[in-house]
Amino acid sequence: MPLIRRDPPPPAGDALPATGGLKSDDPDTRRRAIRSLGHEPQAVPVLMGALEGESVPAVLEAIFSALEMIPDAASPLASLLRSDDAGLRNDAVEALQAMPDAVRPLLPGLLADRDADVRILSVEVTRCLPAGEMVTLLCGLLEGDNDPNVCAAAVEILAEAGTAEAVPVLRRLAERFKSLPMLPFAARVAIERISGAGN
Amino acid sequence: MPDPSMPPRVLVVDDGSLIRLYYRQTLEAAGFQVLEAINGIEALEKVLSERFDLVIVDINMPKMDGMSFLRALRSQEGHAGALPALVISSESGEQDAAAARTAGANFYLVKPVTPESLALHVAVLTGVPA
Amino acid sequence: MHPEKPPAPEIRITDPEFRRFRDFFYRRTGIVFSDAQRTYVDRRLTDCIVAAGSKGFPDHFARLLVEPAEMERLISAFTVNETYFYREDYQLHCLTSSLLPQITAAKRPGQTIRLWSIPCSTGEEPYSIAIWLLENWPQVDSWDIEIIGSDIDSRVLQAAEAGIYSERSLMRLPRPLVARYFTVIGDGQYRIDAELRGSVRFSRVNLIDQGETSRWRNIDVVFCRNVLIYFDEVSRRNAANNLYDSMAPGAFICLGHTESMSRISPLFHVCRFDEAIVYQKPGEAGHA
Repeated sequence: MPLIRRDPPPPAGDALPATGGLKSDDPDTRRRAIRSLGHEPQAVPVLMGALEGESVPAVLEAIFSALEMIPDAASPLASLLRSDDAGLRNDAVEALQAMPDAVRPLLPGLLADRDADVRILSVEVTRCLPAGEMVTLLCGLLEGDNDPNVCAAAVEILAEAGTAEAVPVLRRLAERFKSLPMLPFAARVAIERISGAGN
Repeated sequence: MPDPSMPPRVLVVDDGSLIRLYYRQTLEAAGFQVLEAINGIEALEKVLSERFDLVIVDINMPKMDGMSFLRALRSQEGHAGALPALVISSESGEQDAAAARTAGANFYLVKPVTPESLALHVAVLTGVPA
Repeated sequence: MHPEKPPAPEIRITDPEFRRFRDFFYRRTGIVFSDAQRTYVDRRLTDCIVAAGSKGFPDHFARLLVEPAEMERLISAFTVNETYFYREDYQLHCLTSSLLPQITAAKRPGQTIRLWSIPCSTGEEPYSIAIWLLENWPQVDSWDIEIIGSDIDSRVLQAAEAGIYSERSLMRLPRPLVARYFTVIGDGQYRIDAELRGSVRFSRVNLIDQGETSRWRNIDVVFCRNVLIYFDEVSRRNAANNLYDSMAPGAFICLGHTESMSRISPLFHVCRFDEAIVYQKPGEAGHA
């Protein structure tokens, strides 16, 4: 019979000196080295350093998977929101979403950043917060932000997870941007979904 | 207007459900058939499974961003690899549009787009006669 | 039979609530509900709301966002949880038609082909793979084939080792195969033959645990069906990382019918075969 049953090998001797592995030319070796680093705070600078010049997806995934388990990584991850690399920016958003307690203190500053693109990504991060907190933060943003795309990003999240307090804020938003495309539509849909009313 | 018996098929790729709804309503009213995906991976799955005439793609999306999607798309053979791609992104920098074109975008629009502009660009990129 | 309960409160799902729920569920799982499925969705959703003791849709929806157990129950309500032989057999077709030809092209004679069913539950999936190969793969005698079945739950693994199944579990198997590979041992009870029981290795593995999964290496095809959809975001990512590391370069991973890597991980290439979408670990096969 060609179907055979074997015991598994002993745990693989993947042990490599981590630092040597990190700089290897072989991506598999780099990935293994990252995966063996663990999730202590002292791994954060090593992991952030490993991002420099790294382009192999499997290695990047290992780095961000590790970073998202370490609350101390919140601040360095937040700095990646400014990256020119779309992949790094969006990986940073996902990693920050995994650490609501660690990212919480950073959010007010990020949501007020001068760069609208950073504010948009930061709005995405608020998805991970309890609804009450998220609504407070995003309603505050919607009262004052002048960038329609930042506001649109906030409306998306409120349409899914918003509560009644957001409704008057959304009405004012629709009025403020009534001459722009998309935003009044989005605000109306969000109000409908939050209140559950309408057809 | 597109031929109603064979409407051009447009794949809208954006992680925002309201923006996808906005594009869907606009394009369906203009006679196009619209399907959706939430990120580059789902978009690739759809592009490899069904025939489309245009893909509209955002840049910032989870799991696989728009740039990675464009590169993966252009590495495909046949119809998928040649699929016209319209990027509609909130990023307004010159370098953002240039980078998207290098990655394989045919055209780049900055959000927010009006319904008229969206319908016009889609008509042009799907070869619908004026 | 249900014990007598007071009548359920009147719970209606409004149109905007349905759309809100639909978009949320699609974002989370990739599963789309059309307008035509409204009645079905409303019913399942209402059942969840009542079972959870929530006051209505808004109350329950808010809970979904913060209570992982309720989310899991909700997803269960909308997915088929039953296991049986030859479930989603289009993937078994894909295995022999498309995946194994690529895998064997890169192997030398004498090398082993390793197939991993994780989670394997009570064994229907790994035994199905075994039966399918014996019945449908002309080259089955040319290779050493290891089939591994793993699960976090020791009790289901014990059941898998025992290999006793009901009529219902065999309902998709052609009758000649039941006769060929099973023995009737009681009323509606069938036992899979000793040769097959002896050819699948069962082991306890927690998919999310890097240490536990690291013992398994050079897997050529992973079947990880209808489990990741229930995990939270971080656990899905961890599972994908662990499976990736267990796979040989160029190896394939099959998910459940309603599942997609778009909700799980960017590690794998999307492969479209005639029968199925399957995902592939990058790298040249044969260069492990």
